[in-house]
Amino acid sequence: MTLTHADTGAAGAGGDGPYEQGLTEDLARAALALARRFHAGGTMWCASPSWTFHAHHVAVEFVHPVIMGKRALPAVVVPPGADLVASLRATVRPGDMVVVVAGTAPSDPGGADVAEVMRRGPAWGVETVWIGAGTRPPAGAADHVLWLGTDDPLVASEQFVRIYHLLWELTHVCFEHSGLLQPDLCEEEVCITCSDEGRTAEVVAVDQGGDAVVRTAEGRERIDVSLIDPPRPGDLVLVHAGSAIASLEEGRS
Amino acid sequence: MSPEATDFLYPFIEGDERDSVSLLADLSASAEAKWAHSERLRQETLARCDDQLATIGEAMARRFEAGGQLFAFGNGGSATDADDVAQVFTRPPRGEPLPARSLVTDHAVLTALSNDIGFDVVFSRQLEAHGGPDDIAVGLSTSGNSENLLVAFRQAAKRGMLTVGLAGYDGGQMARCDELQHCLVVRSDSVHRIQESQAALIHALWSAVQSEYQAKGAA
Repeated sequence: MTLTHADTGAAGAGGDGPYEQGLTEDLARAALALARRFHAGGTMWCASPSWTFHAHHVAVEFVHPVIMGKRALPAVVVPPGADLVASLRATVRPGDMVVVVAGTAPSDPGGADVAEVMRRGPAWGVETVWIGAGTRPPAGAADHVLWLGTDDPLVASEQFVRIYHLLWELTHVCFEHSGLLQPDLCEEEVCITCSDEGRTAEVVAVDQGGDAVVRTAEGRERIDVSLIDPPRPGDLVLVHAGSAIASLEEGRS
Repeated sequence: MSPEATDFLYPFIEGDERDSVSLLADLSASAEAKWAHSERLRQETLARCDDQLATIGEAMARRFEAGGQLFAFGNGGSATDADDVAQVFTRPPRGEPLPARSLVTDHAVLTALSNDIGFDVVFSRQLEAHGGPDDIAVGLSTSGNSENLLVAFRQAAKRGMLTVGLAGYDGGQMARCDELQHCLVVRSDSVHRIQESQAALIHALWSAVQSEYQAKGAA
């Protein structure tokens, strides 16, 4: 193939990209996390309420890589137009990943649903990646926040393509480091072995006797909810030693 | 074609590697370099295509003013770019919405045509059904060699449509296709970097049409 242009050489000194400080470090951490999840058999769920085509682009990138010889990975688009929370709740399994391209509400009307999905990530046992631009979501809104400072929707849209291309490229680099595909030991903030657990759970059903069936990253379990105000199905609660010790819905509408 | 290997930066490391710190630093540095590369390619491409974009923008604006509509198509990642084209024209962040459609969104049509005839006609057959002399066909490819795009451009030309292509590498067969009136080429041999600059070209094209179309509307 004839090339009339030499853009194939190594890139020069970086830094002329108008992305937010720390984006490339965040990309690196997200890529390693995704590689670990894929390695363990997880599926990647892709969504973008306002830019459906970005969700499709992310998924096709991972399923059918443009570079020959790279492995096909399980990535799926959440059906556009669906209730994002309900759709993912029904389909994701612990160990999966959710990658969303969206701004935050109110500038992106889909941002509120996205925030709800991300909040439920720990209860569903999924790793969450939020790619977006504009007003940055609050700290801890997702496991990985890959953010652009721009308010121009077209500039943001162009740079989202770069972000998920790089996410794919870096994820595949991680596969070459098989020793690093096992999770770090004791990377959880709370150590289960010393019983100081506080796990996020989503209420599935509430019994009359003060019990509830909840969903956590470890699966379904029955817990006591008599210590908190009666929760409703879909509420998030904090579970400690078989009891809900706090509702995570307070202050929320 | 030279593979854009992710292998070249990183030597094989034994399976007993446990410390992710150096890998994360390498990944971050690699991302930064690739970002800068992509940004340079975008700026070079937009500068090189500036006159071409103005010419195409004007030609497209005339078609829209005559009541024409735009049909966008491509395969894989380029199919998602076709959706991007349809979205930015119909739901623009500013300016006037213009009629545009992606030919990759109807799975009934795509599977019917693929099953009954073949994948080469999935776009041309739709243009046969919908396309008229005031309309615009925009086909996107990274290689410039997608057979179903070349077939579609021939069908579009036959129907008197304005034909616009976006390609990568040296433009491939699209650059040598007589039925394709305008071909914007991103001169790179990395599919990812080509698509990143094509996203910028799509938006630049939309912007060129908007300014030209508004100028006429105000007159």
